Amino acid sequence: MSDTTTPRRSLRQRLHLPRLGVLFGLVWLGSLTILTVLANHVPAAVPFIRYYDSKVKVDGKVKKYGFGPGLDAWFGTGKSAEDIFARCIYGAKLTLLIGIGATIIGLVVGALIGVLSGYFRGWTDRVAGIATDSLMSIPPLLLSLVLVLRLDDLKEQYSWMGWISRPWQLSLTLGLVSVAPFARIVRAQTMVLREREFVTAARSLGASRSRIIARELLPNLIPAMVTVAFTGLGILIAAEAGLAFLGMGVEEPHTWGKMIDIARDDIEKAWWATAFPCLMLFLTVLSFNLLGDELARRFDIREAAV
Amino acid sequence: MSPTTQAAIRDTDAPLLQLTDVTTHFRTPRGLVRAVDGVSFTLERGKSLGIVGESGSGKTILSRSIMGLLPTHGTVRSGSIKYAGREIGNLGRKEMRSVWGREMAMIFQDPMTSLNPLMKIGDQIAEPLRIHLKMNKVDAWATARKLLQDVRIPEPDRRLHQYPHELSGGMRQRVMIAIAMACGPTALFADEPTTALDVTVQAQILDLLGEQRRERNMSIVLVTHDLGVVAGHTDEIAVMYGGKLVEKASTRRLFAAMKMPYTEALLASIPKMSDASHTRLAVIPGRPPDLVNPPKGCRFAARCPYAQEKCIAEEPPLTVTADDPDHSYACWFPVGSPEYHEARARLSDKKNTVEAA
Amino acid sequence: MAGSGTAHLRTEGDVLLRVENLLVEFPVGKTGLKVNAVSGISFDVLRGETLGLVGESGCGKSTTGRAVMQLRRPEGGSVVFEGKELTAMKAEDMSEARTRMQMIFQDPISSLNPRRKVRDIVMEPLNIWKRGSATDRSTKVDSLLEEVGIDPARAAESQPHQFSGGQCQRISIARSLVLDPTLIICDEPVSALDVSVQAQVLNLLEDLKAKHGLTMIFIAHDLAVVKNISDRIAVMYLGKMCEVAPSDALYTSPAHHYTAVLLNSIPVPDPEIAITKVAIEGEPPSPVLPPAGCRFNPRCPAADDRCRSEEPQLREVGAGHFVACHHPLVGGEAPVSVRTGD
Repeated sequence: MSDTTTPRRSLRQRLHLPRLGVLFGLVWLGSLTILTVLANHVPAAVPFIRYYDSKVKVDGKVKKYGFGPGLDAWFGTGKSAEDIFARCIYGAKLTLLIGIGATIIGLVVGALIGVLSGYFRGWTDRVAGIATDSLMSIPPLLLSLVLVLRLDDLKEQYSWMGWISRPWQLSLTLGLVSVAPFARIVRAQTMVLREREFVTAARSLGASRSRIIARELLPNLIPAMVTVAFTGLGILIAAEAGLAFLGMGVEEPHTWGKMIDIARDDIEKAWWATAFPCLMLFLTVLSFNLLGDELARRFDIREAAV
Repeated sequence: MSPTTQAAIRDTDAPLLQLTDVTTHFRTPRGLVRAVDGVSFTLERGKSLGIVGESGSGKTILSRSIMGLLPTHGTVRSGSIKYAGREIGNLGRKEMRSVWGREMAMIFQDPMTSLNPLMKIGDQIAEPLRIHLKMNKVDAWATARKLLQDVRIPEPDRRLHQYPHELSGGMRQRVMIAIAMACGPTALFADEPTTALDVTVQAQILDLLGEQRRERNMSIVLVTHDLGVVAGHTDEIAVMYGGKLVEKASTRRLFAAMKMPYTEALLASIPKMSDASHTRLAVIPGRPPDLVNPPKGCRFAARCPYAQEKCIAEEPPLTVTADDPDHSYACWFPVGSPEYHEARARLSDKKNTVEAA
Repeated sequence: MAGSGTAHLRTEGDVLLRVENLLVEFPVGKTGLKVNAVSGISFDVLRGETLGLVGESGCGKSTTGRAVMQLRRPEGGSVVFEGKELTAMKAEDMSEARTRMQMIFQDPISSLNPRRKVRDIVMEPLNIWKRGSATDRSTKVDSLLEEVGIDPARAAESQPHQFSGGQCQRISIARSLVLDPTLIICDEPVSALDVSVQAQVLNLLEDLKAKHGLTMIFIAHDLAVVKNISDRIAVMYLGKMCEVAPSDALYTSPAHHYTAVLLNSIPVPDPEIAITKVAIEGEPPSPVLPPAGCRFNPRCPAADDRCRSEEPQLREVGAGHFVACHHPLVGGEAPVSVRTGD
């Protein structure tokens, strides 16, 4: 008699918790968001997060890079004796907002181009293809730098563009850079979907093309779009950090990229001032990637079942 | 496997395949799926067995369990599978590799996905020859050419150098058969080999399989949902339902004197050419049982027109018929029993009153 | 190249659909070659009739169905539905005509939008055409769902993947009936279903046809299934029409050699009927370069020089029984045609 069994299901499985990666991602992003929101709007709720500009004092003394990571300042202090941990939390706000803004812009424009070129094919597809291919051939870093600087110039020229603050500049720029990849993915998905029989069925029922796109295609594109949005968010946040590192970022409050930039000269003296913002960046991008993977897995399974 | 063991396999008098209480369950988020629940039968050398059932009956899982082609995670297996007297049910992948291809071969439903799209046909047929029989490339290709002729593919020289996408569905299935026959296996498992093919091509492929079987004295296990296919091409038939073997008999006997109401109902629900146009088909009401929580009694009871209380309460064991030791079935009130006739009479009375009303 | 002829088209009776010399060709990439999917076939369907269209893969039956629905505009020929020529219609008129001819597809699950609730899917056609008030639409959808055996409450909350294949096909059928069409074209509706579920769906189609006074075209490769549900069967091979006959007559006295081959190849669930010889060898040639003359001639046991050069036309060999063959199994030799070539 043979009897091969697999190990008993782990505790995690029995409690119906998701995978470790997803759990981590959710916990990390969740805590970060909560902390950053509270720090900015309800500071009283988070007394352990010092104010942005407050200096860390011990025994009445204020010293730059006074402390390493420890009880007084969890991530240590920075050049102006500010609390690195607090700065990291404050920095998260704009990083996340810019990342989300860029993703939304990129996704909306990209999805529009993708759906139209994937559904109509022919000339629409060719024109859109040329546009997106050209966009993708320009090195994204170069493009972002040029656009941000150009917007700076334009702002001085035209006062009506004054509302485009730095965060908006970054969102628009990064959004534009991400249009092409989003468009390609949505186009590929659209081309697959339009051959499915439920689209033919809708045509045979007399549905107009716009109705088919809106009611048949888009709901089925949303899973792929959401998955790609999460992974894209990770990339765009890293991109924002890169731009901030190069000095193109927001002036105040400092985002992680800028924090790394400021502290990098003193990396030997005070490694914590560089290391912790790097860690924050890494863990945040990782979380978005992990969540994106999990979404992809879930939607794939759904698609497979269908 | 050493050559002496192999020789032993080929000479032994034991039945080629002997299954005892084979069970395959899968752990899924929903619970334990009892895909195959205690199946036992034997198959002699050179005979063909048809395993018939609908989707969810467990027929494909059964053939894969015998072959050892199940996923390792989440699978719970028990029972004994003896191949020519040797226990193979508990062998790991590594040991099974010496059995696959040489002793047991399998062909699948969709030849497009079963063939490597990036390899030439010649290479794909030569592969088992080179691995198992240690042939060199020249000999292997020569054998491959002969195999293509055996499976009646015209212009074999040209075909050897082609890729799967250049062949039609029927031809690809022939190539699959050639690959399976390459090392001269003693058993071939064909899992719905003709379901995706046109009816004329299906007839050719089934005929080819029968010819190969006779020439090589090979056993064939033909898994299908099509009663027509098994009627013409198998010596014995095993009917599966809800993970259980519910009836087994020689083909002639099964069609002439079937015992299971399920077999009877299945046969009645197929449109036949001999029926007149617009014949009302006898439908089996309801749906197959849930394999996670199968019913306590007979698994077909919920859909059986002759079900009694005993059927719902107790699971019928596999019984051998009095007059034919090769015919076994699992039913409390089989076709032909007094209770069956009573139930039929009641049903037709009901039908008449409904129609009269 | 000429089509198979129109001798079998009926002049009396209430002809709902009349297709003449339908031509559908697909270009092969940029080679300039064409796939001759449908090469000049004609058929008609009387109101209340079920026409079965049968043939093996590559014969063009599915393409015919879609060309009739104008889901793919045919390259030639005429399709007259309810007295109106569909091929000449503009998009908006065609759209309107489509409400009266509906299609049921092969793959039950993929013909329903996976992201929408089933009840909404069935409601959709009414919303597109703005038929009736909201309550009217609701009542209609619910009654149709019940007719096909689906619980409306469950349909309102569930998506297609939560139903079985057979149930999805029934939902598809309900959706196709919601606009009260006169013609339903079924494209292999039961091929993807289990045997016992097939029977349920076939019976359902018969019942609905009777109840709603429908006319049906049933496209399938399984001749037994087609015979069960059709009044009349048309056999296609490589884009041409071989034989058109009442269902029972096709079985008892097939006239075309290909029909005989098909009938002999069908596995019969009766071991007493021995299969002595394989009915035919080889496979159909490519529709890109079809044989000249009768397209079946390379594989036909009775082919001669006339078959290799002259395309046979459909002619009557029995009551309502037409065959396109120079030397059919039933009825005499084809008379020598007066026309040359073309």
